[in-house]
Amino acid sequence: MLRTEPMLRMHVLLLASETQDAALELARFGVFNPAPCSLDALAESPAATYREAWLEAEARLSKLLEQCGNSGPLQLPADAEAPALADLQELNGWLKEVWTACLACHESEIQVAEARSHLDVLEDTLAKLEHLNVDLAHLLRADSLLALNIGSLPVTELKRVTEALAMTGHLVTRFDQLGEQVFAVIAGPRSRQAEVRGLLAQAGWRQLPVPDELRTRPQAARAWLEAERVRMDAESGTTCQLMAGLRERFGPRLHEARLRLALARPLAEAALASVRGKGGLTALSGWVPRRHVHVLRALLDTRFHGRYWLDLREPVAGERADVPSLMRYPGWLQPFIPLVKSYGVPRYGEFDPALPFAFAYLLLFGAMFGDVGHGAVILLLAAFLGRRFGRIAWVGVAAGAVSMLFGLLYGSVFGYEEVIRPLWQSPMHDPVRVLGIAVAFGVGFIAFTLLVNTGNRWAAGRTAAAVLDSNGLAGLVFFLGAIGGLASLVGVLDVALPFWLLAGAGIAVVAGYKWHEAPGGTGERIMVTLIETLEMAISQFSNTLSFMRVAAFSLNHVALALAVFTIANGLETAGHAVAIVLGNSVIIVLEGGIVAIQALRLMYYEGFSRFFNGDGRAFVPLRLGEG
Amino acid sequence: MSAYLDTRVSLYASRLWQDVALDALVAAPDAEIAGALMQRGLPQLAAGFVNPADRQNARSLEQRIIAEVLDETRVLIRPLSGDARSFLTFWTARFEISNVKTLLRSKMTGERPAAVLARLTPMGSFGRLDIQNLAHAEDVGELLRRLEAGPYADIVRHARRAFEQSHDPFSLDAALDHAYYEGLALRAKPLEDTVGAPFHTLMARLIDRINLVWLLRYRFNYKLPPAQVYYLLIGSRYSLPSARLQELAALDSLQAVLAALPRVWRTPLSGAVDIPGVFARMERLAASEAQKVLRSRAPAIARAFAYLILRERDLRALRAVLRGRHLGLAAGDIRQALQRVPEAA
Repeated sequence: MLRTEPMLRMHVLLLASETQDAALELARFGVFNPAPCSLDALAESPAATYREAWLEAEARLSKLLEQCGNSGPLQLPADAEAPALADLQELNGWLKEVWTACLACHESEIQVAEARSHLDVLEDTLAKLEHLNVDLAHLLRADSLLALNIGSLPVTELKRVTEALAMTGHLVTRFDQLGEQVFAVIAGPRSRQAEVRGLLAQAGWRQLPVPDELRTRPQAARAWLEAERVRMDAESGTTCQLMAGLRERFGPRLHEARLRLALARPLAEAALASVRGKGGLTALSGWVPRRHVHVLRALLDTRFHGRYWLDLREPVAGERADVPSLMRYPGWLQPFIPLVKSYGVPRYGEFDPALPFAFAYLLLFGAMFGDVGHGAVILLLAAFLGRRFGRIAWVGVAAGAVSMLFGLLYGSVFGYEEVIRPLWQSPMHDPVRVLGIAVAFGVGFIAFTLLVNTGNRWAAGRTAAAVLDSNGLAGLVFFLGAIGGLASLVGVLDVALPFWLLAGAGIAVVAGYKWHEAPGGTGERIMVTLIETLEMAISQFSNTLSFMRVAAFSLNHVALALAVFTIANGLETAGHAVAIVLGNSVIIVLEGGIVAIQALRLMYYEGFSRFFNGDGRAFVPLRLGEG
Repeated sequence: MSAYLDTRVSLYASRLWQDVALDALVAAPDAEIAGALMQRGLPQLAAGFVNPADRQNARSLEQRIIAEVLDETRVLIRPLSGDARSFLTFWTARFEISNVKTLLRSKMTGERPAAVLARLTPMGSFGRLDIQNLAHAEDVGELLRRLEAGPYADIVRHARRAFEQSHDPFSLDAALDHAYYEGLALRAKPLEDTVGAPFHTLMARLIDRINLVWLLRYRFNYKLPPAQVYYLLIGSRYSLPSARLQELAALDSLQAVLAALPRVWRTPLSGAVDIPGVFARMERLAASEAQKVLRSRAPAIARAFAYLILRERDLRALRAVLRGRHLGLAAGDIRQALQRVPEAA
C-alpha cells in the first residue's frame, strides 16, 4: 500500500496467426499493461493493418449505432475468440456498405428539406410576381440578349458578388431573405454569361427552378408547385422507410458486429506499439505485476498448450521511468485516491503518499474545524449526497467524523462551549499552546517528507542526492539541528550546542553538494551554491511556520462562532434563532470550504512538493469491452 | 503582462537566423547541424536531423517545423487575453485549415484514414478538430457536414456550398483560404485600432502580398475571368483596396499588373518576371517591415506577431536547407532555393 507493486517486463512470443487470441487472453487477464517492444530483431508491425481495419470498422459502427440506435447490452462469452484479420476486413466492408446506404438516405433527407424551403420561396416569389405586370416568359427567354438568373446565395457573399458581377455588366437585385440565404435576380448580357458561371458556383449560388408554367401561366404554376411538394413528401417517406428498414434488417447483425469489434479491441489497442513481429512470429510486450505471473503462465498454457515463449525480467535501471505504477488500496482508502491523483501518479518504486495523505488530511481538517455539531452536519450531508457524488462523498463523511472527534476535544457544539465538557480544551483558552502544537506537527511533517524523499532517491539509485542534497538526509540533519537549536534558544530544550553543530554539519554538506552539482564558472557556482543553500534554509522554516495556519483556523472557528452569538444576542427570540441558524450555515459552508482547501494546500505544497514528483506512468491494463 | 511578453519576444528574437548564418548552414558538416539548430531553439528539428528514422517520433520535417512554431506561439500567447489572444490563436488555425484540406483531398482520392492521419500536422493544445473522427468520414460530403458542425463552421459552410455547386477541388481550397484570411483580417481590425501603425503595417504587408499573389496566380496560371478573380480575393482596407483590385484583375498580363501597382509596391517589385519572383520580393519587404517592428518599441503584441512572421520565414528557409541536404543537392542549388542569399550579398 505504501509502494507501487513490483513489475516485470514481459515479452510473449507466439505464432502470428494467434496474436489476436493472445491479446484477447491478456485483456481477460486484466493486469497486462502494453508497452513498446524493445526486441530489435522483430522490426515489423504485423498488427498495424488489423488496427487500421478495426478503427475504420469501429468508426462506421458507432455512426450506424448513432443513426439507428444502440442494440442493447453487450455480453462477451467467456470462450469467444477474437476475429482474424480477414474476418475483420470483411466486417469492415459490410459496415461500409451499410453506412454508405445510410449516408445516402441522410443526404437525401437534407436535400429534400432544402428543396422544400426553395419551393416555399418560389411560391412567395410567384405571389409577388402575380401582382406585377411582368412578362416572365419574355424575360426568361433563352434567346434574349438579357440573361436573367433567379436564385439564392449566402447573405455574407452578396456585397462581394455584386461588386464582382458589376465588372461584367451584371446587376444584382435582392428580393427576399430566408435565414442566411438571400434571394436575388441577376441580370446581365447573355454574351458574358460564361464569365460569371464560375463566379456564381464559387459564391454558392443556387438557381431557383423556374417551371415553364411560371413563365407563361402563373396560375398553372401553383399546380406544379403542389405536385412538387407531393413528390418531395413521397421521396422523404421513401427515405424514412429505408432508414427504418435498415434498423430492422440489420439490427441483429449490427449487434454481432459490436461483439466482434469488442473482441478485436485488445489487439487493436496493443498494436499501437507493443506488437512487433517478423515472418510468422509475433511478440506482445508490456508489464505485468510480479504476483500475477503464475496466473498468466496458467492462462497461456491453457490457451496455447505450449505454443508460446514467455520472457520475463526485472526492470533495468535505464527504464525505470517507463515502468507503470500500479497501486492497491483497501476499499476505505479509495475515496482519497482521486485527491492524490489530481497531483500526479507516483513514479515506479517511489513511496505512495495515499495512506499518510488520508490520515494527515483528516487530522488537519478536524483540527481546524473541530465542532461536534458542524462535523455532524457535514457527515450527514455527505452521507445523504453519497449516491450522487459517488465514493468521493466518503471523504466528507470521514472529515465530518474527525471534525466531531475534535469537537469533543474542544468541547464545542455549533459554537456553544457550555453544552459538553471538553476532553482537552477550547483553542481560544490557550492560543499559544495551540500554535506550538501546530508548529510541532509541522516539524514532524516536514521531517517525514524529507525522510520519504531520501528513501525515494535511494530507491531510484540516486544515492548521492539521497544522502547529500537539501531534500535528502543532509537537509534533514540541518532541519532537525536548527529546530533543536531554536528550541534551546527559546528555552524548550537545553542542548543548544550539539544541535547547532548538527545544523552546521548538515548545511555544510548541502552546500558542498550544491557546489559539486552547479554548472558554469567559479563565480556562477558560488552564486548558485549560496542562493540554493539559503533558499533551502528559508523554505524549510517558512514551510514549517505555514502549519501555524492550523492553529489560526481553529481559533478562527471559535471567533466566528463568537461573532454569530454576538449578532444573535442583539436580536429578539425569532431573530436570535434565525441568526444562529444562518450564522452556523455560513460557518459550515464558507469556513468548511476554506478549511478543506487549506488542508489540501498544506498536503500538496508543504508535503507532496518535497518528495512526490507525480510524473509516474499510470498502469493502464488492456481490457475487454467497448470504448 | 506586456513586460513579460516584450522580454520573451526579445529573447526569442536572438534565435532568428541571419542570412549569413543560413548560408553557413548550407555548407556546414553534418556533425554541426544539430548543434546549430539547438542553439537557435529548435530541439525538434535537431532531434529529427540526428535520428530521422526515430520510430517513436516519426514526424516529417514539415510537422516538426510546425511543432516548433506552435510551441513558441504557445509561450507567447500565455500572457495574452481578449483580442490579442484571439488573433494569435487564429493565426495558428491556418495549420489546422491545412489539415482540413489534406483530409478533404484524402476523401477525394480514397486514401485510407491511417495514411492521412500520419500526414496531418499535430496541433497539440491548439487543435480544435477531432481528426480521428473526421479521418473516418466516408466521403467529402460527410466530412464537410461534420466540419460544419465543428469549430470552423464559418469557414467550411461556404466552401461546402461552393463545392456542391461545382464539385471542383479548386473551389473548395480557394473558398477555405478565402474564408480563413477574411476571418484573420476581421480579428486584426480591433488590434489595428488599439495597437496602431506597427500592427497595421504587418497586416497590410501580409494581406496585400496574399491578394497580389493570388490575383496573379488565378488570373495568369488558372486563367480565371477577372470577376471571379476579384471575388476570390480578400476584402482589403490596405494599400490595395477593392477598387484597385478590380482594376488589376481586369489587366491581361503580369507586367501590366505590376506597372499598375501603387508606387509603394512598384519599386520593390521591379525586375520580377514571374509569380515566385513577385512572392519572394514581397516576402522580403514584409520581413524587412517585421524586422523594423521587432526592433522598435512597438506594443508587445505587434512585436510578437512580427517575430512569428520572421520565425516562419526562417523555418521555411531551414526546410529548404535541410531537405536539400537530405536529397544531396549541391550547395549552389540549395542557395538558389533559399532566395535569401542575394539579399545578404
